[in-house]
Amino acid sequence: MDTAPAPVTPQERRAALVEHLRVALDAFERGDETTLRQKIDTLVAWRARPLVEGLRRLSRELGDALGNLPAPESASADGVSSDELEDACARLDHVVVTTEQASHRTLDLADRCRALTDTLKTAGPLDQAQAQAVTELRANLSELVLAQSYQDLTGQIIRRVATILRRLNENFASLGLKPHAEPAESGKGASDLAGPAVANLDHDAFSQNDADELLSGLGL
Amino acid sequence: MNLSKDMRILIVDDFSTMRRIVKNLLNDLGYTNTAEADDGTTALTALHQSHFDFVVTDWNMPGMTGIDLLKAIRADDKLKHLPVLMVTAEAKREQIIDAAQAGVNGYIIKPFTAQTLEEKLAKIFERFGATA
Repeated sequence: MDTAPAPVTPQERRAALVEHLRVALDAFERGDETTLRQKIDTLVAWRARPLVEGLRRLSRELGDALGNLPAPESASADGVSSDELEDACARLDHVVVTTEQASHRTLDLADRCRALTDTLKTAGPLDQAQAQAVTELRANLSELVLAQSYQDLTGQIIRRVATILRRLNENFASLGLKPHAEPAESGKGASDLAGPAVANLDHDAFSQNDADELLSGLGL
Repeated sequence: MNLSKDMRILIVDDFSTMRRIVKNLLNDLGYTNTAEADDGTTALTALHQSHFDFVVTDWNMPGMTGIDLLKAIRADDKLKHLPVLMVTAEAKREQIIDAAQAGVNGYIIKPFTAQTLEEKLAKIFERFGATA
């Protein structure tokens, strides 16, 4: 790529461009392929320069924005965080792990409460109101367990965002804008899937009723 | 095929919370003979190692996905008649059709309710009962 200082004013740019084209045409007529190729490369580099500068700025701003986030435990522990995007992904992984632990804690407690309702039932004859209360408790515990399934759904969305960030990171690296970036993991078959549908964003998502209709149309 | 309350069910999902939730719901419905696997590959190993009557699987998993597991089951002479219920967040029309074409027996979109699970199980049992 051309390393000469870029012409500043439009007039300078125009004059430089005319000069490059003139030399290129001259080289073409003389059959001087080396000079011709060199001039064409210079012209192409000019064309690409605003794009590369834009990407560099984008990369820097993204890095700044991510650097302003609170540091995850993993980054502060070893003190090295050479790559903000990888760091952001680590934060997202952390969210998945933390919410998973919280869900398991809730499920543990729900299990314990179910056992307690069994104890209540076997402890002695319950009057009607008590029996009804125990039945309702068990139903509520089932609902509570089911509500924990949102950990899986939000976790899937977070993992997808992390995959996008890692890919972005890889692309910046391939442009030479992130020289220390780690190559992202190779693509997996599952990454082509849409994942959990988000209301107001995924308008073509099917409801259970839509799916039932479709499947019954297919003979299932 | 054993489709009674003591049938052996393999629950396949990469999220341990979801495996636990499905297991819990199945327990509530009276099905207590369950085992778990965290992707298609480990599920296939488990299916080859011991006998199962029913498979409940997620779709999107690292390693082998649920749809590939389904195809592998249908392509395996020993396993091809095994009922497979897909429980997944994938809610696109094409994916549901893909699953149907691959030979899925039921399809539940996450998030789901205990009632939906019960209904889909009943429907599958009804069909298997009718063909048995």
